[in-house]
Amino acid sequence: MAEVASSELKGMDVPSLVLFGTDIVTFSVDLAIAYSILLAVSLTLNLEAGYSGVPNFGKAMFVAGGAAVAGSISGRLSGFILGVDTSNYVNRAPLIINNLNSLLAANLFLSIEMLLLGLALAAGVGAVLGFLASYPAIRLREDYLGMLLLASAQFFQILLRGYPPLIGGVIGIEVPDFFGWANTGRGARDVVILGVVGLFTVLVYLYFERVARSPLGRTLRAVRDNEVASRALGKDDVAIRKRVIVIASAICGMAGALLTFYVQSVGPDTWSRQSWTFPFWVIIIIGGAANNSGVALGAFTYAFILKAVDKAKFLFQGFLPFDVNWLEYLAFSSLLLLVLALRPGGILPEKSSLTLQRETVATIIQTKADNRAQKGDDSSTNADDS
Amino acid sequence: MVDPIITASIVYASLFGLMAIGLTLTYITTKVPNFAYGSFVTVGMYTAFSLFRLQGFSPYSSVPIAFIVGSLGSAAMYLGILRTLARRGSSLVALMIATLAIDIAFVGIFGIFSDYLYARYRIIDAPKFVQLPGDYSLFGIQGIVFTAPISLCTITLALFGLLTKTKFGIAMRASVENPSLARVLGINVENVYIFAWSLAGGFAAMSGAYYTLWLPGGIDVGSKLIVEIFASSVLGGLASIYGAALGGVIIGAGEILITTAGANLFGSSVGIYQKGIPLIIMIITLLLFPQGLVSLDLRRAFRKFRNLRSLGWRKSLHLS
Repeated sequence: MAEVASSELKGMDVPSLVLFGTDIVTFSVDLAIAYSILLAVSLTLNLEAGYSGVPNFGKAMFVAGGAAVAGSISGRLSGFILGVDTSNYVNRAPLIINNLNSLLAANLFLSIEMLLLGLALAAGVGAVLGFLASYPAIRLREDYLGMLLLASAQFFQILLRGYPPLIGGVIGIEVPDFFGWANTGRGARDVVILGVVGLFTVLVYLYFERVARSPLGRTLRAVRDNEVASRALGKDDVAIRKRVIVIASAICGMAGALLTFYVQSVGPDTWSRQSWTFPFWVIIIIGGAANNSGVALGAFTYAFILKAVDKAKFLFQGFLPFDVNWLEYLAFSSLLLLVLALRPGGILPEKSSLTLQRETVATIIQTKADNRAQKGDDSSTNADDS
Repeated sequence: MVDPIITASIVYASLFGLMAIGLTLTYITTKVPNFAYGSFVTVGMYTAFSLFRLQGFSPYSSVPIAFIVGSLGSAAMYLGILRTLARRGSSLVALMIATLAIDIAFVGIFGIFSDYLYARYRIIDAPKFVQLPGDYSLFGIQGIVFTAPISLCTITLALFGLLTKTKFGIAMRASVENPSLARVLGINVENVYIFAWSLAGGFAAMSGAYYTLWLPGGIDVGSKLIVEIFASSVLGGLASIYGAALGGVIIGAGEILITTAGANLFGSSVGIYQKGIPLIIMIITLLLFPQGLVSLDLRRAFRKFRNLRSLGWRKSLHLS
């Protein structure tokens, strides 16, 4: 897995080991894991930018925060619990992790506990970062906020790179394997991880879908579309936005932690805006902002095109005088601009709030009328019933 | 020899001043924060780098060429993408995403260009190169330490002259202040915007060419400078080009001086927080005086202060 870790600069390179003729199951599992993580983060951006009108141009920071803390603390903590010497952790990480992995593989419950603890920590860090970001977010105009978050995310990356005790500075750090118990050969570990990541994403999706269909979802759109009018109706737009950013950032942190546990390493160079802010904007613009199924489709489109370019680039490598990876940047930028120009709503544009079907409404009215009629009969017999 | 910290502050201050003037020019015309602006700095870097390597041009002689390349690129970006999207009714956020997409596309273009330089001319260091030689030297100090501030002053003065003394400059101000009214008066607002955008791209590329004489360049160097450039413009108020120049000078000099002071106090490990200084200044500006330096009315603040003092003085007199 070491080469996976070093090659995941683009965040999505996880399945790039797989070439033609290799195990298609392995390929699909890898692709599905990457898709799940992408989708979870895209959904949070959709909640912020799509539903609530908070343009988060610093997504990389929130994912990186969760990933860095999960990667940094989980190893030390499990070393502490298992009695492994963790002094001089950053420099001795490969040795310590090696010891830990063999111990953790034999200890299913501790592994699961550490996994959950890592997720909780990452969610906490994400929430704290989100809370900090929400302070300017509710006060500034969209353009100022965009600049501030973009700049903050870049500074966060510099901080991760420049502060070795956290995740080992430039070179990054290894993370213990909490799925070692599933490592029974034939890619069982990846299938288990897919189960965990997939479950996480499904829960996130269901939660956001529920939010979108609830009165809260309609309030969010109202705040986004007309702040003054929603305020006049008594909606506290400041509190709502704050909550949205905190929740979205906590989920981002968890997604970052899951990615870290999957690739078993975390480094600072991963979290550039090319790899961890821009793709999510591409996804929600292509798929359709403020529409969760659109975002799911957008994430699939993104992952699919990425894979197509990945596969096709070996065909071109010989003919072109440059690295085909660069075309990826151009392809996604052009695609985004085209969608913005030709289909600003995305493939599946935002739908108006769901209302009940005409027949259903008619039935409800009928039932109510019946009830009232019945009540009327009751009240005639019972004079106390007003 | 002059202290290297002083020279570094001068160069940083001048270059960020130049870059911030350009960013502010794009912002006051279209009201969209231009995330791709840093990439135009890289355009200037690669113009200077390739001309130096292929033709032996000194970066100074590439400055005019870089200016033209940057101007054309910036005008093309405005005409081809931003204006098209704005006419189709894109929202502010959509336009911001578009500039972000252009920034990412530029990274790809620079990558392809540097790979091409390697494939065609065997230039190995194209993706990441050290500062270029060929600068002159005056009193034992590198020439850029003089050239950069002189350029900044000249450009600021020239813009001041253009905006206050010429008819076109006044038309420019009118188009920025109130586009509809300017149109009614027969000003071609579109041309004004195109002019402003090409100037902006030119300034960015120009400072990029200067930058290669002082610091290492590379594919993503320009787009990483965006933190300082935004901070400078925001500090200047995002509405005034003189404010931007001043903001750039403060951010550039402040970044070096505060880091050095911090390193002297707490040891060299504070160096990693250098890029945090512009960010912190930006946050303070946005939260305390979002209209920037130009909104601070020093005379009124002083008068208030004097009044308070004299009030207190009189009060104490009455009391005694």
